[in-house]
Amino acid sequence: MVTLEFHDPSGTIEVKQPHASRVSALDGRKLLEADFPGIEVLPIDAFPQGNAVIGSEETAALVKQSGVDAVIIGNAA
Amino acid sequence: MTRADFVGVMTNAVAGLGLAPDAAMVTFPIEMFLPGSDISAVEARKREFYEGLTRWRSAIATDVAGEAPMIKVQAASVEDAFSRANHMMLANRWGDGLPLWPPTRERADWILRGSTQPRRHRIGIFPPRGGVTTVETCAIALAMAGGRPEYLPVLVAAVDAFLDPESGSAQLQAASGSAFPVVIVNGPIGVQIRLNSGFGCLGPDPQRPAGASIGRALRLLQQNVGGALPGIGTMANYGGVRYTNAVFAEDEANLPPGWSPHATERHAFAHGQSSISLAFANGATNIRRRGAKKETPEEDALQGMYRMADFMRVPNMPGLAGYEHGTPGILMIPGVVANTMAGLGWTKASIREFLWEHSRIPTEHLRRAGCPAWLEIDSSKVVRESIALDPWPITASPDNFVVVVAGGGHPTNSYWLQGYSPGVVGRTVELPSGFEELLADTDRDLGPR
Repeated sequence: MVTLEFHDPSGTIEVKQPHASRVSALDGRKLLEADFPGIEVLPIDAFPQGNAVIGSEETAALVKQSGVDAVIIGNAA
Repeated sequence: MTRADFVGVMTNAVAGLGLAPDAAMVTFPIEMFLPGSDISAVEARKREFYEGLTRWRSAIATDVAGEAPMIKVQAASVEDAFSRANHMMLANRWGDGLPLWPPTRERADWILRGSTQPRRHRIGIFPPRGGVTTVETCAIALAMAGGRPEYLPVLVAAVDAFLDPESGSAQLQAASGSAFPVVIVNGPIGVQIRLNSGFGCLGPDPQRPAGASIGRALRLLQQNVGGALPGIGTMANYGGVRYTNAVFAEDEANLPPGWSPHATERHAFAHGQSSISLAFANGATNIRRRGAKKETPEEDALQGMYRMADFMRVPNMPGLAGYEHGTPGILMIPGVVANTMAGLGWTKASIREFLWEHSRIPTEHLRRAGCPAWLEIDSSKVVRESIALDPWPITASPDNFVVVVAGGGHPTNSYWLQGYSPGVVGRTVELPSGFEELLADTDRDLGPR
C-alpha cells in the first residue's frame, strides 16, 4: 500500500473580529420599513448608491452620522 | 442583500475583512438588480431581513487560524496514489483541470531552498477570501504547478506586489472583467532561471519553462488561497489567459542603446537589479505591425506605430481603473523592431507620446457606445473631468503606457496586453545564498541552457 501525504494548499483564515452584534428587537429603531409603530422610515436612496461610492469612508460616515441602528447593504455589481 | 450567484463572492469578501466566512444574507435572482426591475420581492421577504438583523448567528464561532492540515491518500501503487491525489485536489476545487504535482513535504521543502525567508514568513492576506499567505504557501503552490526552487524568489516578489493594495487585486480578483496578472521580470534572473523573453514568450516553451510554472502557481494562489473560483469567488465572464497568467522577461540583451529597462523607468530600480513589475490586463492581441511591400524603414516604423495606436483606440471602460496611476496596457515590441526604430530616432518616451496622441477616441464615438455614463460615475475626478476632452485620451498621461522590448527576433508583429490595472507595482527579487547551486541542479536536471 502506498501512502501519499501532501499539504492542503488553501492556507488558513484568521477570524480577527466577530460579526456585529444583532439588535434584540426592531421596535423603536430607524429602518427602511414601516412595519413597526414609531419607526422612522428612510427612503431607499437615503445613502449613496453605486459601485464607486457604496464602500467609501464618506458613505460609512454618513450612515454613522444618521444614527441608524442597522444597515442592509445590497450588492449585485 | 445580494444576487443568488454572488454568495461565494460575498463570503470571500466577508472573510477577507477578518470576519468569520459567513454572513446573514438574503439572496435574489440577478433580474431584480437590473435597472427598472420589479423589487416587490424585497418587501415580500422582509421577515428574512428582520431575522438577519436580530436572530442570525455565525456558524463559525472560533478563530480558525493555525497550520493547514496534511492530506493523505492511500493506493495500491504510486501511479494510483498520484491519480487519487489529483482527483482529490479537483474535488476540493484546488486544481485547474491540468495535472497537478501533489505538494508533499519533500517537494515543498525542496522548493523552499529558493527562499531567503523562513517558511512561515507572512507575506500578507490574499484577497478577497483573506487566506494567510506565507513563503510556504507560495512554495506549496509552486510545487503543485511543477515549479523549481529557483523560481520561488520571483513568485514571492510577484505575490508581494499582488498583495499591495496599489495593485487593485482585492477588486480584480472578484470582478467580472477577466483581469489577469502580468509579471514583467527585469535583471539577470530572467536568463538565470530560464524565463522566456523571445519567441513565444507568452506561451508554453519547454526550453524556458519558468514562466508557465510561476504564472500557474500565482493563479493557484489566487484561486485556492484568495478564493477566486470561477462563478463562485470570481465573476469573470471568461477568465482568459488564466491558466498561467502572463510571466515573461524583458529582452534586455536587445534593448537599444539609451533605452532603459522597464523596471528602471517605472520603478527606478537600478539597471542590473533583478526585479518584477506587476500589472493587470484583460486582453491579449497580436498586432501585425510590419508593412507588406518595399516600405522605407521610416514608413514601416511610422505605419506600424499608427497601426498599433489604432488597436488601442477602443472604449476599454475597465481601463478607467488605471486611468490616473495605472496603465492602459503593455505594448511588447521585438528587439529587432526597437533597434530599427531607435536608429530612426524613436525613444520609449516618443513612442508613448505617439500612442497617447493617436489612440484618442472622438467624443461622438464614445457617446454612441454609451461610454460617458461610465466616466460620469467613476470615483476619480480626473476620469470624470476627462469627459470634456475631445478626442478623449485612453489614459491620463502618455507615461502610463508600459512599453517593453520582448518577443521573437523578427519584425512582423508586436503585442498589446490591454490594461485593467489600477497600478503597476514593482518589487526587487531577493536571492538565497545557495542560488548558484540551484542553477547547477537545473543544468543537471534539464541540460545546459
